Amino acid sequence: MDTKKIDNIISLSNDLRWQIGDEFHDNLAEGIYADAAEIVKDSVHKKDEKGAIRIDAKIDKIITSKVWGFPLMFLILALVLWMTIVGANYPSAMLSGLLLDTVHPALKGFAATMGMPWWLDGFLINGVYLAVAWVIAVMLPPMAIFFPLFTLLEDFGYLPRVAFNLDHLFKLSGAHGKQALTMSMGFGCNAAGIVATRIIDSPRERLIAIITNNFSLCNGRWPTQILIATIFVGALVPATYSGILSLAAVIGVAVLGMVFMFLVSWGLSKTVLKGEVSTFNLELPPYRPPRFWKTIYTSLIDRTLIVLWRAIVFAAPAGAVIWLISNIYFGDSSVAAWLIDSLDGFGFLLGLNGVILVAYIVAIPANEIVIPTILMLTVLVTGISGGAGAGVMFELDSVTATGDILRAGGWTLLTAVNLMLFSLLHNPCSTTIYTIYKETKSVKWTVVASILPVIIGFVVTFLVAQIWRLSA
Amino acid sequence: MNTYNPITALVVFFALSILAYLLFRPNKGWFWLIRNNSGSNDKIVIEDVLKLLYHNENADKHLNINDIIRTLKYNDRLILEGINKMSDHKLISIQGDNVKLTKSGIDYALRIVRAHRLWEKFLAEKTGFKEAEWHERAERKEHELSKVETDILASKLGNPQFDPHGDPIPTNTGKIAKIKGTPVSELSVGTIGRIVHIKDKPEIIYKQILAENIHIGSLIRIVEKTPARIEFHSEGEAFILAPIMAGNITVSVLEKDVVYEEDLARLSILKENETAQIIGISKEIRGDSRRRLLDLGFVRGAEVKIDLMNPLGDPKAFLIKGTSIALRQNQASKILIKKD
Amino acid sequence: MEVKPKSACEACPQFNADGLKKLGVNTTDFDFVVALAGNPNTGKSTVFNAMTGLRQHTGNWPGKTVTRAEGAFEYNGDKFKLLDLPGTYSLLSTSEDEEVARNFILFGKPSVTVIVVDASRLERNLNLVLQILEITSKAVLCLNLMDEAERNNLEIDTRTLARDLGIPVVPTSARYNRGIPELIQTISELANGKIVCKPHRIKNIPQNIEQALEKLSTEIEQVYPDIPNSRWIALRLLEGDRNIIETLKTGEFV
Ligand SMILES: Nc1nc2c(ncn2[C@@H]2O[C@H](COP(=O)(O)OP(=O)(O)OP(=O)(O)O)[C@@H](O)[C@H]2O)c(=O)[nH]1
Ligand SMILES: [Mg+2]
Repeated sequence: MDTKKIDNIISLSNDLRWQIGDEFHDNLAEGIYADAAEIVKDSVHKKDEKGAIRIDAKIDKIITSKVWGFPLMFLILALVLWMTIVGANYPSAMLSGLLLDTVHPALKGFAATMGMPWWLDGFLINGVYLAVAWVIAVMLPPMAIFFPLFTLLEDFGYLPRVAFNLDHLFKLSGAHGKQALTMSMGFGCNAAGIVATRIIDSPRERLIAIITNNFSLCNGRWPTQILIATIFVGALVPATYSGILSLAAVIGVAVLGMVFMFLVSWGLSKTVLKGEVSTFNLELPPYRPPRFWKTIYTSLIDRTLIVLWRAIVFAAPAGAVIWLISNIYFGDSSVAAWLIDSLDGFGFLLGLNGVILVAYIVAIPANEIVIPTILMLTVLVTGISGGAGAGVMFELDSVTATGDILRAGGWTLLTAVNLMLFSLLHNPCSTTIYTIYKETKSVKWTVVASILPVIIGFVVTFLVAQIWRLSA
Repeated sequence: MNTYNPITALVVFFALSILAYLLFRPNKGWFWLIRNNSGSNDKIVIEDVLKLLYHNENADKHLNINDIIRTLKYNDRLILEGINKMSDHKLISIQGDNVKLTKSGIDYALRIVRAHRLWEKFLAEKTGFKEAEWHERAERKEHELSKVETDILASKLGNPQFDPHGDPIPTNTGKIAKIKGTPVSELSVGTIGRIVHIKDKPEIIYKQILAENIHIGSLIRIVEKTPARIEFHSEGEAFILAPIMAGNITVSVLEKDVVYEEDLARLSILKENETAQIIGISKEIRGDSRRRLLDLGFVRGAEVKIDLMNPLGDPKAFLIKGTSIALRQNQASKILIKKD
Repeated sequence: MEVKPKSACEACPQFNADGLKKLGVNTTDFDFVVALAGNPNTGKSTVFNAMTGLRQHTGNWPGKTVTRAEGAFEYNGDKFKLLDLPGTYSLLSTSEDEEVARNFILFGKPSVTVIVVDASRLERNLNLVLQILEITSKAVLCLNLMDEAERNNLEIDTRTLARDLGIPVVPTSARYNRGIPELIQTISELANGKIVCKPHRIKNIPQNIEQALEKLSTEIEQVYPDIPNSRWIALRLLEGDRNIIETLKTGEFV
């Protein structure tokens, strides 16, 4: 090849560029649009004004209005959560009845007839199977409701309006308005939210969005919030109001997550990720009535099953680990008991306990299994009966029974509140961490994104615990 | 937990937080101070001396060692050591009192200038840092970029010829373009021109010019000139400058057939139910953001009106070429329109 | 079989329903690569799903797809690999969010490029269309969201449009599978050279730029005589695009 000629071409292009000057791009863009206008004039004709656009404009006026804009957003969030919480109850109970009360004993019986050694039976059935069963029973129903509802809103065209409404707050915190979109995706799954940050074109603002995505309460964490809020917060008021109060508590935590997202974005953009907001432009598409059944079908099949599959893949080994640490002995206490004991003091400072901290370590691969791990370990420590043996995960059918176990483990309202806070503010799950690494290609930022939320979680729960104890 | 009590815990916590703050607070944290000071300053000092000499020689001024010590804010010992090293490496020659750059000294200085100006260009085009911050950031970055990195940066930016102040960027072979133009203070009434350069020194005047929102690339028209002041219009606004300020702005005069639009307004002031035509985008928007706006249809001649107002007032969505596009106020204020 | 190439505007699709097989993710041993390009939120992923039978996520907001997805279909014995790309507003920018799509359209050398546009917002979509037509001559315009255009009382004369653009135009409503067979037929004819396009070249370019382009593209053609889109390369060189400078050195685009 003729490298000399090519070098000539390149230097010629440099000279020409300098001659043309910096109006080049403006002129070119204008030229292209002028062509476009000519072509359109030839072939597109508008029959008469008015039409479907008017309805769009009316909806938009309400959704972005000064009075209704924000209340409507909260109302929609509350409605989606309410439908998820209430709607998930019944199928959840049914599934746990089936998988834990029927299939589990059957499997045990089968193992006994096979003459399986106790450790293999314990490892596979009490460890792996129960973890998976719990995840299915607890996660599947809320996801099967939450995802389709979310997808319907998404298909309708509501998300860009949320971004539009919230942008002012993002601007104040030095972040990009499209972060609202990735935050919304994070409510489903943080890993998905982090991939979605690619729509943010400035590297600085994209990093902020990646680091703060974990403050969107993801699907693996909703069930924990709902369960604990129902047991401890709902019990504060008479039964008729308990549903509403626990819903309010869960929404409160979700909103607190957004508050932290704004605060941390602000903090980052004032310190390590300093800089002005570059640009923000967002196309607001027309509303499109979603295709109801098709949307429900595809979001069930795709999103729900895929996320569930992931949860199972991670839950199975975690279940095995739980079983192992509670059955391997170190002198006369099991590894689990030893771990719990050594973390208890720190846990107490945070208004939590050793059991919860160990559960969070075990549950790094999948947040979904935090609660069953806590229950199992609590039984192990308190020695109360109710569980099915050391290292066996279980879900008690009635919420009250679960509450009784936790109270026997020394839980108070403070423990519950701080667990809800800590569930919001802790390290991302392993899939998310890996996704962060893939997207940023930087160990440094992956570490920051993983550690920062836990530190915030420690600080917040610590402060809450001390103030609570002082005022008690 | 016998010693535990919430108050002690809180006190210990706050003590630790204050310590962490002192250590790590941005810029002035002890940790950063120690880290920055332990690193070798030699290179930075030498490069700053080279730059200082280069700029002065360009203005036909020659400096002696005392001038250098007085101008640069390093301690004397560091500067003297630096100067010794430089003459060892034949970057400078000392003739009598005067310090002069050698050929390789000039090359080195040009490389630093190139890195500095490219970095300013980068900050202007690809990031959202404030204009007043560019210089300082580039002052730090110029010492960190290697020759290869500088070349990559240049090609990423499309080998620009001028930095955002209008100063020429030396090529990697050390060639440097000349600024052609006339200071605003010497133009006569009625002249139309394009701003090609704004001197960034002295800093006080430069900051004043920036505060006025005057930008490279903008079209201006002189409307009044007296010994005490010069008035010109640019991008729909009137500017009145003292002659010393006007003297620091260079303009290339345009031929007669350029249309200069008067009564321009900014998109940000458009009210609901008003329509307008886009005239252009202020030169303050550069690089990718400018291209994106153009691609979204904010081109000369396009019709625009407000489609939606945000509950908090900012951003607004504008209807342009059949689609609603949300822009923040600070961007909308840089799009020039003419109301219908 | 002897088939005379048709000119783009008279392409009249004859769809052979039995010849179509949606192959899902099975993309091995393909004969042609087809890229789906277009502005964000114009229905590219919906078109992709309709042709491959896959369920790529769609959503009514710009930026839903951020990674490229692959799928395949077979038609009349030819195997087509289909690529769903993230939306782009322009090929002239250097912004990071559009890099995946831009690079594929520019350097992926697809056999056919399907440009999906929103029929109700044709003018703004043409910005990208006209740029793509500077690069490739094997393109088809998929005039999607026709149902919405009809509801907005827009009448689009597809013949005139095809004549002006110099490429076939297929109106579709991908969500309801309308027009997809015709689109597949057109893709197949384009891939097999039965339709020959004469794509529109941007006319309203200012004098000084046009002259510079001419100068540069003649130079380029001297080094690479067979290159179909020297004008585009010249354009990118004027813009100072680093990728183009690299490919020019290696000659990879030929
Ligand atoms: N009414 C109607 N809606 C459609 C049609 N095609 C797509 N849509 C809807 O338009 C929206 C956008 O579709 P997508 O396929 O996600 O668009 P895309 O071009 O892939 O978008 P990006 O990935 O963001 O670039 C979705 O809500 C679709 O359901 C159509 O023909 N008619
Ligand atoms: Mg898509």
